[in-house]
Amino acid sequence: MSVILGRLCEGFIINCQIFGLTLVFSIPLGLLVCFGSMSRFKPLSWLVKTFVWIIRGTPLMLQLLVIFLGPGLLGWGTPWPAGNSGRLMAAVVAFVINYACYFSEIFRGGIESVPRGQYEAGQVLGMTKPQIFFKVTLLQLVKRIVPPMGNEIITLVKDTSLARIISNKEIIMTANEYAAKGLIWPLFSTAIFFLVFVGVLTLLFGWFERKLDYFR
Amino acid sequence: MAILEVRNIEKHFGNTQVLSDISFSLEEGQALSIIGSSGSGKTTLLRCLNFLERPDHGSIAVKGGVIFDASDPSTQSEKDIRQKRLHFGLVFQNFNLFPQYTALQNVTLARELLARERGGENRDAIVKAGRELLAQMGLADRAYHYPHQLSGGQQQRVAIARALALQPDILCFDEPTSALDPELTGEVLRVIRSLAEQKTTMIIVTHEMAFARDVADQVIFMDGGVIVEQGDPREVIDHPREERTRQFLARYTEN
Repeated sequence: MSVILGRLCEGFIINCQIFGLTLVFSIPLGLLVCFGSMSRFKPLSWLVKTFVWIIRGTPLMLQLLVIFLGPGLLGWGTPWPAGNSGRLMAAVVAFVINYACYFSEIFRGGIESVPRGQYEAGQVLGMTKPQIFFKVTLLQLVKRIVPPMGNEIITLVKDTSLARIISNKEIIMTANEYAAKGLIWPLFSTAIFFLVFVGVLTLLFGWFERKLDYFR
Repeated sequence: MAILEVRNIEKHFGNTQVLSDISFSLEEGQALSIIGSSGSGKTTLLRCLNFLERPDHGSIAVKGGVIFDASDPSTQSEKDIRQKRLHFGLVFQNFNLFPQYTALQNVTLARELLARERGGENRDAIVKAGRELLAQMGLADRAYHYPHQLSGGQQQRVAIARALALQPDILCFDEPTSALDPELTGEVLRVIRSLAEQKTTMIIVTHEMAFARDVADQVIFMDGGVIVEQGDPREVIDHPREERTRQFLARYTEN
């Protein structure tokens, strides 16, 4: 049993890696996508919005396959290194693109929800645009997006197990191998890993929301 | 010499003309009230002075220097506009205080940012000045309150202190009491009245006729984007010459 739990832990480390790397890269990329879709230069905003529609409109599982196998099938040669590291890299790229699109919409909603008067108050007080963004609107925006971001990040925890479709040996895939041999309990026990992880995140988000509770 | 000279300002939004041929001047230390019904262009005029809107025609001069001329692009560079805005302070109808800062921080923030940029004043001096302004507004004991912990009247007084902190040449009020419960308008009007007594140069867009008559040295009545009548408040409000002014004022006295 301890051997099996050890294997499950190894699998879960893959989930954690995908989770961490996706968060680190998709948040800044999401901000860029957000600025793109809000751009006053129409062709750019149109292009970015179409891209977001495609990414949000197709299954993440399909995107994983396209990103991992697509270049090879099109005869461009696969850009991914051989072996596990290549599979992990492809998975992270697919997750980053997918989550950046979802995050970008949350950021856009946050930016648009800060009342226009806040920008104008900054302007008439002689602030520069960056000063207005960083000193006035950013914190108000962060406060507004914490709950939807929390939702999305919790979804990401569980979505990481989709990486098994391109043979990343994450926790569900590991447990499934036991199930195929007739041993069922490891598969059900994976729930505990996710529950604990999400539980910690929930506490973290709750703490952060309380931190920002001092203003309205 | 007039501290403010506004000449032939026009403003369109699409095909709608919101301001046409607005000209007036204001002497240092005087208070100007702008009255008129909603949609008459009063607020747009204030927003033009503060560069929140850009006039399509006309010019604005402060202390004899032209700071905006619609026919001269060199007066319209983005970079300079920031500096030029500082001639004016603006108090908004709905306060627009920064919710994540205390009353005192709201007052000091912009001045600290400017001082950091230009050198000069240290932080302690700015905070001290901020406290004095809050005290002047009767809010000495509210320095560490956040906006949501203050009443509307208190928030508007913080907003006035915030605008004063940058020592503008001309302080503009955009219907400063319209968003307040009736019982809270008094405290805000009292503060503005005391600023007028200290000879603060002010432009006040307001629906408070009695207040406009008592406090202002000059009144402008606007309707449909034009100045219908301007002059001494007792003349304009008590003995209007124009029919449109009479009709507007009649609606106020009926209520």
